[in-house]
Amino acid sequence: MTKHDVAVVGIGQTKFRSKRRDVNIPEMIYEAVKMALDDAQLEPKEIDAIIIGNMDHFEGINFSELLCGIEAAPGYLKPVVKVATGGTTGSSLAICGYHNVASGIYDNVLVVGWEKLNEGGATTGIITAFDPVWERPSLAGALGPLALMAGMYSAKYGITAEQAAKVTVKNRSNAANNPFAHLQMPNITIDYVMSSQMIAYPLRLHDCCPQSEGACALIYANEQETKKITDNPAWFHAVETAHYYTFGTDDKMFDLPTATIASKKAYKKAGIKNPIKDLDVAEIYEPTSWSELSWTEGLGFCKPGEGGKLLDEGITQMSGELPVNPSGGVLSTNPIGATALVRVAEAAIQIMGRGEKRQVPDVEKALAMGFGGSLWTEIMILGKNPLR
Amino acid sequence: MTKIGKVAIVGVAQTKYEKDKIDQTYSELVFEVVKKLHNDLGITNDDVGCVITSSNDFNDGRTIANMAIQDAVGSVRKAESRVSGDGAFAFMYGAMRILSESYDTVMVVSHCKCSEVNQYLVNNTIFDPYYQRHLGLDQISSAGLMANMYMNKYGVTEEQAAKVVVKNRKNALNNPYAHLREEITIKDVLNSKMMAYPLKELDFPPFSDGAVAMLLAKEDVAKKMTETPVWFKGYGNCTDAYYLGNRNMTDLIGLELAAKEAYRMAGINKPNKNLDVCEVSENFSVHELMIYEALGLCDKGEGGKFIESGETEMNGSIPVNPSGGVLSSNPTMANGLIRVAEIALQLQGKADKRQISNAKTGLAYGMNGICSQGNCVLIFGGE
Amino acid sequence: MSKNRKLKKDFFEIKWKTDLPYRYSIGKLAVKFFEELKANKKIMGSKCPKCEKVHFPPRAVCADCMVEMTIEDMVELPPKGTLEGFTVINYPFTDPSTGGIRPFPYGYALFKLDGADTYTMHFVNETDVNKMKIGQRVEAVFNEELIGDLTADIPYFRIIKEEN
Repeated sequence: MTKHDVAVVGIGQTKFRSKRRDVNIPEMIYEAVKMALDDAQLEPKEIDAIIIGNMDHFEGINFSELLCGIEAAPGYLKPVVKVATGGTTGSSLAICGYHNVASGIYDNVLVVGWEKLNEGGATTGIITAFDPVWERPSLAGALGPLALMAGMYSAKYGITAEQAAKVTVKNRSNAANNPFAHLQMPNITIDYVMSSQMIAYPLRLHDCCPQSEGACALIYANEQETKKITDNPAWFHAVETAHYYTFGTDDKMFDLPTATIASKKAYKKAGIKNPIKDLDVAEIYEPTSWSELSWTEGLGFCKPGEGGKLLDEGITQMSGELPVNPSGGVLSTNPIGATALVRVAEAAIQIMGRGEKRQVPDVEKALAMGFGGSLWTEIMILGKNPLR
Repeated sequence: MTKIGKVAIVGVAQTKYEKDKIDQTYSELVFEVVKKLHNDLGITNDDVGCVITSSNDFNDGRTIANMAIQDAVGSVRKAESRVSGDGAFAFMYGAMRILSESYDTVMVVSHCKCSEVNQYLVNNTIFDPYYQRHLGLDQISSAGLMANMYMNKYGVTEEQAAKVVVKNRKNALNNPYAHLREEITIKDVLNSKMMAYPLKELDFPPFSDGAVAMLLAKEDVAKKMTETPVWFKGYGNCTDAYYLGNRNMTDLIGLELAAKEAYRMAGINKPNKNLDVCEVSENFSVHELMIYEALGLCDKGEGGKFIESGETEMNGSIPVNPSGGVLSSNPTMANGLIRVAEIALQLQGKADKRQISNAKTGLAYGMNGICSQGNCVLIFGGE
Repeated sequence: MSKNRKLKKDFFEIKWKTDLPYRYSIGKLAVKFFEELKANKKIMGSKCPKCEKVHFPPRAVCADCMVEMTIEDMVELPPKGTLEGFTVINYPFTDPSTGGIRPFPYGYALFKLDGADTYTMHFVNETDVNKMKIGQRVEAVFNEELIGDLTADIPYFRIIKEEN
């Protein structure tokens, strides 16, 4: 069998905003695609295949890849495939791109995730992800279950609202260093978060991610093509997925068991024994501030119940041993179809040393995470050199 | 493209395709084929590395449509991903996961229920909200436009088109899974209600409910699991323009290029001679004639003459759609994967009454979007 | 930011609403559930014949065993349970079933029915978070007239003040 090494060789992102009234969907996506092509110095015709994703219910366009793959990306007379898995869409795209190149079928691939949420309705769309008879009547979008999870997490381990607010402060002030981030708040304070309106106890407005519009594009290539394109790529070391029951509430979910399952497999593949020591940066998918504390436990960064302590000790701050979300994370930018792909893009940027103001020093291994659906987790580990 | 490894289909399972499976949830529909596949192969869920599914949110009425079937496909605590499009594309992603040496076995599942929503409304949502959607375009009207332009350019007649329907509906009599299993005549087709000139009601497929599943395995595992592995040989994927006005409406350019690439990979120089059987996703009668030309089975413009030659009949030199095709069973999202399943059965010698004798190389074609905008051509070999 | 305000004036909006009605199949177990709810005020779950895990809501597949559950495998569950998590929803959003805004604030909780091995979500009739606590006992409140619809027949669960 001939398996290939896969690297990220080109990155493009739009500046994420709450409303991009100035562009239509293909125009918005093209911004990211052009940036990625210019970054990799590739002509559109040199792209072998395009994998594109978004949640089609949110913008109300069925088979949106057939529109955007042609009008916004160089998909005319080329392969165009759509992968769409809810919140994990971005990471599912990233993983699909990996397999497309690792399998040897294509030498390079353009992966695009996008969302223009304000042209439809995200919460309404998310409610339709759930069972029409049993779950939809009471469900309040994604924030309902996330609020339940935060409450249970808090009750079990005594995590406080203040500790959660610290996450928002960390991430949105990190976002001030990221020119693409949606909510950049260099002067945000804990008080600001804790005095915002309670929207679903214990989640306050600023404990929750925003709704953003924008696109993210990545170009992958195999080892031969990568040599021709760049001497500073970011190589994939491991990709893993773990899913859970159809009914998300079948099991107590706040500790995200799928994060533990997927990360264990990914760490094994990538040779990571102690995440805090062996990883240099992590871009995790935190839909709420409480989630980041809980997910760091699920990913094995600390013991169950110690997520708050991990942050209090500064380990996940920019100056800490394992900075989490130097880009600002999902709390700062959330275009659903692209969010998880942005995590991969940001992890790649860190590996390549192109993070500028948000660069973590000496990054050799980075983790990117996707979350969504009925508590699914996808883990991608990238490294400075191919895994051997 | 560098040398690629080997991956085979070791088993397939299908439901009976029907108008309305009102008593089954999506979970039950999918579990039916998954369980059947496990039982037929004598495996449990532990033997399945990961699952790739194919479904469509608008059709299922559910964002993240694959969430409804997690329990049924056995992906709890395991990996599953979903291609939002025709099942043939999901097959290829599944094959890639084996070729990338990430998994030993991959199960690919595709499901679709047309009975839960008005299909014309869903088709209309495929069109962009800026220009085309307001015209009320859907699969039917687009097909009418395409058929009219094609027939006008090449002088293809409505009788020739009707021959496709008669052929496929007759073939379906041999397929116990098919939805419509009733012979019809050319006259029946010509006299049926006009839907979108020049296409009439019987030029179009029914709307069906159903699901299909198959297990893919890497070379050494496949050889242990079955004596008749069906090897993946070639793949081509090509997307035509989006706006109907930008498309070449008389020739399926996307399919032509996809087929060329698949033939190149599979080492096929003369499709008529090298292929023993074809299963194509013909979404209307005239479509199949255009498909013959795009696949290189006959010259451009000769599709009408080709069906009249009888070469694509069961006893012809290149049988097309021995299963009855989409014109007999149409669970839209699953059509491509059903074509793959039918080719697998042919190459395994398990196609019973619809078996083409000595079938060694087969072609399966799945499409996405309106009138062959997205095209996936797959070539399989029995050896 | 000021650039955005200028752009706002330059664009006009067209709002367009589409109805896309679906006829969902709920399956035989759900049908039995609603029949029993309507006729006998019973709440039923399904028990896996292999691992004996009791699922609520009832469904046709036990995901852990990949084994089918039928209406023969349905078991009655008491209308009482224990609160495992709760929240009060306090923001507007469009309800996809009605097309209108769902009235808020409303209480919404996760609880386990006695005898069930899975958790479930539903409304609770409390919008003061200080009056709710994990571990409280809850019970289903049935409507006078039962028609075979989940939220019409069991509009909410109430916190059993007497037992807490």
